Amino acid sequence: MKSADEIKRLFNSAAVQTNATPDDAVFETLKTAYTRTVEHKSAQRELSMWRFVMKNPSVKLAIAAVIVIACLIGLSLWRTTGSGIALADVLARVERVKACSFKRSLHFWSEKVTGKDPNKPYIRGTFLISQEYGWKAKIERLDPNGGESTFSEYCLVPQKKTTIAISHKEKKYTRKEQDDGFFERIQKANIDITDPHTFLKQMLKTKYESLGRSTMDGIAVEGFRTTDPNSLVGTSSSNSGQSKRLDQKLWVDVKTRLPVRCDATWVDFDQMENKKKYERHVLYDFQWDVPVAGAEFEPVIPDHYASWVVKFPPHITEENAIQGLKVLVELLGKYPENIYHIVPENINDDAPTVLRLAEKSETPAALRLKEEIKGLTDDEINNKLVDFLMPIRGLGRFYRWLQFDKKDPAYYGKTVTPKDADKVLVRWKVSENEYRVIFGDLHTQTVTAEALAGLEKDLPK
Amino acid sequence: MLQDKLLIWRLQRGSVDALRQIYDKYKVYLLKLAITLTGDACHSEDVVQDVFLKLAESYDRISVHGNLKNFLITCLMNRIRTLRRDCRRHQAAQFDGSAIERPQACRPDQWAVVNEQMQRIGEAMVKLPVEQREVVTLRFEAGLGFRQIASLQNASINTVQGRYRYGMEKLRSLLNSEVEK
Repeated sequence: MKSADEIKRLFNSAAVQTNATPDDAVFETLKTAYTRTVEHKSAQRELSMWRFVMKNPSVKLAIAAVIVIACLIGLSLWRTTGSGIALADVLARVERVKACSFKRSLHFWSEKVTGKDPNKPYIRGTFLISQEYGWKAKIERLDPNGGESTFSEYCLVPQKKTTIAISHKEKKYTRKEQDDGFFERIQKANIDITDPHTFLKQMLKTKYESLGRSTMDGIAVEGFRTTDPNSLVGTSSSNSGQSKRLDQKLWVDVKTRLPVRCDATWVDFDQMENKKKYERHVLYDFQWDVPVAGAEFEPVIPDHYASWVVKFPPHITEENAIQGLKVLVELLGKYPENIYHIVPENINDDAPTVLRLAEKSETPAALRLKEEIKGLTDDEINNKLVDFLMPIRGLGRFYRWLQFDKKDPAYYGKTVTPKDADKVLVRWKVSENEYRVIFGDLHTQTVTAEALAGLEKDLPK
Repeated sequence: MLQDKLLIWRLQRGSVDALRQIYDKYKVYLLKLAITLTGDACHSEDVVQDVFLKLAESYDRISVHGNLKNFLITCLMNRIRTLRRDCRRHQAAQFDGSAIERPQACRPDQWAVVNEQMQRIGEAMVKLPVEQREVVTLRFEAGLGFRQIASLQNASINTVQGRYRYGMEKLRSLLNSEVEK
C-alpha cells in the first residue's frame, strides 16, 4: 500500500490547462456580468444617497454650498486652460470605432550625419485597422539617395490566425499560421506607440498639457503635449536606447473628439557610436469608422511570388513543448545548450537556428535530414520542413509565451541530458508557490518553490 | 494573500483588470478542484464559470479582510452540491458516476484540457463516497485543514478525520497500480 506522499505526488502531477478561445469567451461573459452589476450598484448607491440628501435639510444646505464652490473653481479653470476635451473620453471614442484608416510616416536622423533632411520621411505607409477583420499595412521604404522606393505589405488576420508579409522587391511572401494566443498577446504587447490607440493610452499615463485650440486642415482642433519619456515605457520603442527625450503631441477634432494628427519625436543616445539619434513618427489623414469588408484583408499575391510558409501548433501547450524537445533530442542527440537556439530573439524571426546545429550532428535523424535537404535553397528547405519544424517552433513559442506572461521560466539544456530523470530541464511558475517542471527524461511534475530550489541547487554548474 | 486583498479592494471599486487577474489566478485551480470532485470536465467547466459569475455579481459581499480563495472554494462546493441535488431530483444521468472526458475527445469549445494523471485521479475519485471525496480533495488539492473542512461539511473534526482515513485507504487501493507506475 502506497503512502499519502506518493498519492500527493500523483495529485501534483495531475494538470489542467485552458484553451485560449473559450477562455476569452468565459471571461467576456464575466466581464459583461460584472460591468452590469457595477453600473446597477452605483445607480442604486446614487439613488439612496440622493434620498438621504433630500430628506436631511442640513446635508441639503451643505451639498448646495459645495456645488456652488465647485462651479466657481470649474469656471476659473475653464477660463485659464481653455481645455474642454478629456483625453480619456477621446480614448473611449477611439475604442468604440469599428475600423479606421490612417497614414504614417517615419523619419530617422542623427546629429552627426549631415545632408539628411529630417522633414523627409524614411518610411511611409497607409494603415487599415478593423476590430472585426484585423490589420493591414502598405509600406513604402524611400531611398535616401533618391533611388527607387521598395514596397511591402503586411496583413494580420486573427479570424484565420494568419499573418502575411509580402516583399514586392524580392517577389516573395511569408505566410505564418499562428497559434491561438498570438493575436491576444500581440494586442497586449503595445508593440509601439505608433497606432492611435496605443499613442493615446501611453500619453494618458503621463502628465500632459493642453496646447489650446487651433485650426488644422480646416478642422477646429485642440492640442495636447507631453515630454514625459514614461510615455514610451512598456512599448518596443523604449528598448531602442537610453537617455530618452520625448516630444509627443496630439491634436483632437473638437467636434468628433477623435484624433486628427499624432506626432512623436524621441531622442536616443547611441553609446556605441557616441551620437544622438532622432526618430519621429507622424500619424495623419485619419478616416474613422470607414466601411470595410473581409476581402480587403486578403492580400492579392502574384502567382510568380515565392512563398515561405511557417506553421505553429494551433494550441501552444506543455505537451507540444515536450514533443518539440523529443524532436530536438532525436536530431541533436542532446538538448540545445541555449534556449535562444529554439526561441528566436524577435517574435517575427523564425530562423530555425536548430538547423544550423543539426549540420554538426551525426545522429541517424540528422543524417537523414541532411540527405533530404542536400542542394536545396533556404526557401526550399523551409517549405519542405514546415511540418517537421512545427513542434520545434511550438516549443519556442511555448517558452516565448512563458516569458511574455511573466511565468519566471528557466531552461537548463546546457547541463541536463535526456537520461537525467531527476534534473530540471525546463521550469515555470504555475501559481504563487508552485512551479511546473519538465525533467531531463521529459516527465513532468508540479513542485513547490522550496522543492524547486532544492532541485536547482543540485544542478551541475 | 495581501495581493488577494488588494484585488478584492480593486474589484469592489469597479476594476475589470482586477477581475481579469483573479480569473487568471484561480481558473485552473478551481477547474482542477472541480474535476477532482465531480470526475467530469464538462460539468466542471459549467461549475467554475458559475463560481466566477457569482463573484462578478456578488463581489461586494466579500470583506476586504476575508479570504478570496476560501470564498471561491465555498462557492464551488455549494454549486457542486446543488448540481448533485438537482441531478438526483430529476433522475438524470448520474452526475457523480460519469467518467472524466478524455482529452482526445475535444469539443470545439472545450475550455479545460486535462492530462493523463488528472484523468486517472478523476476516474478513481468518483469511486469514493461524496463526503470522503470532498475531504480528500479539500485536503490535497485545496490544502485546507481539518477544522476548515469540518466547517464546510458542517460536521465534527472527528467525522472529517474518519472520512479522510477511509477515503485515503480506498484511494490507495484504487491508485496502487497507477502509483507503482
